[in-house]
Amino acid sequence: MTDRRGFLLAALGAGAAAAMPGSAHAQAAERASAFIKTTGERLVAVVNGPGSPADKRHAIGQIIVAAVDVDAVGRFCLGRFWRQTSPDQQKTYLALFQEVLITNITAKLGEYQGVKFTLGRARPQDEEQVVSTVVERPNSAPATVDWVVTKPAAAPRIIDVIAEGTSLRITQRSDYSAYLQRNNNSIEALLAAMKSQAVLNK
Amino acid sequence: MRALFSSRFPTAGSVRSLALAGLMVVGLAGCATAPPADDPEAVAEFKELNDPIEPTNRVFYAINTALDDALLAPVARGYRAVFPDVVRTGISNVLVNLGTPVRLGNDILTGKPRRAGDTTMRFFINSTAGVLGFFDVAAGMGYKKTDTDFGLTLANLGVEEGPFLFLPILGPSGPRDLTGFVVDRAADPFTWVGQGTAVVALGWSRTGVSAISVREKVLDPVEQIKKTALDPYATFRSLYRQYRTAELTKLKNDNRATIPVWFPDRAGEQINPPAR
Repeated sequence: MTDRRGFLLAALGAGAAAAMPGSAHAQAAERASAFIKTTGERLVAVVNGPGSPADKRHAIGQIIVAAVDVDAVGRFCLGRFWRQTSPDQQKTYLALFQEVLITNITAKLGEYQGVKFTLGRARPQDEEQVVSTVVERPNSAPATVDWVVTKPAAAPRIIDVIAEGTSLRITQRSDYSAYLQRNNNSIEALLAAMKSQAVLNK
Repeated sequence: MRALFSSRFPTAGSVRSLALAGLMVVGLAGCATAPPADDPEAVAEFKELNDPIEPTNRVFYAINTALDDALLAPVARGYRAVFPDVVRTGISNVLVNLGTPVRLGNDILTGKPRRAGDTTMRFFINSTAGVLGFFDVAAGMGYKKTDTDFGLTLANLGVEEGPFLFLPILGPSGPRDLTGFVVDRAADPFTWVGQGTAVVALGWSRTGVSAISVREKVLDPVEQIKKTALDPYATFRSLYRQYRTAELTKLKNDNRATIPVWFPDRAGEQINPPAR
């Protein structure tokens, strides 16, 4: 019995020692969680708050631009086609991407009322931290939403949102990729489609 | 056997004619053309997509979308308009409760005793205190619902999802998940219990109500995807596969202990010794 206790204590000690170099990780997790908490609270305040749809759209857009590394997500979503795109096209694409992203997210969030979110744990994934949250809305089952935060310690930005296991940027990339393949890999066709979509859903 | 099969298995008759129609469409639409071999990135992507009969799948996607627009979606919208939230949730709970035997079987086959225990407790609590499954009181007592099916059981054994299939009526799937669907239907005691017109009618009602209930729940997300995706087919394909992978990961990581609180723990002491 005493032996076992001693062993347990030793094991605990070893565990603590192993955790020491990980304190940088713990700090990154803490920073990432705090960042998601602030961003989430700001979003929820706008969504649940008063204001016309146009006001909300503007406010949500500002939060997205501040919290999301939109250019990095945009580059990711173009995948292997990014390198085949001229600098001018890249510029147009990124501007359109930001517009479409804000429109789509606002369309999704705009009609929600009474949204609540609970902060869960953060876990490291390569260089990033993944912060888990549970989002609740009236009359629907709670959804697990994970936020992938890049450079959590220095300048935290969101680079992906994973809702119930489905990644926003991976889904978007497969959408663009399929569209390009069915349109002779023409970036101009994609840009035109994004443009009309941005106008249509505004 | 044939008569018994078609009368008791609600979809058997329609599956046959759909399969026939399917073969005809396959003949018409054909297979996807692989990208040229000198574009390795495109080739890699083509392999990763694993959608060799994409043109055929897209035909079925178009047919299903047309059927959905004309029939299922309007009915689901009507269902939402007529019944209040509480009733819709209750109906969904009853359907989930009826799915217990199949879910329990798969919990056992995936070797998840805690999930099997939760599923069993949920069935007893919700069938009684929950008034034939209408109220999910078990969830409040800590027995949360978990999702599983024979497709996931196969996946858990290492069976790959295989090429993408977009099926008539059923929607996104693949050989593994289609097999799972057929096995689950065949293993469902409600498919075989009883006979006569009333039972057949009940079986069909369950299938119909289930379709409407499920469709109602995804009315908003589906509309959102159709509005925002440049290629909705590709978006649904990606979402379906990501979702299945996530379900499998959830299943594999669900290793909650089944040890009751009064059981002696590893240090030889009891947590919460029973009151004397």
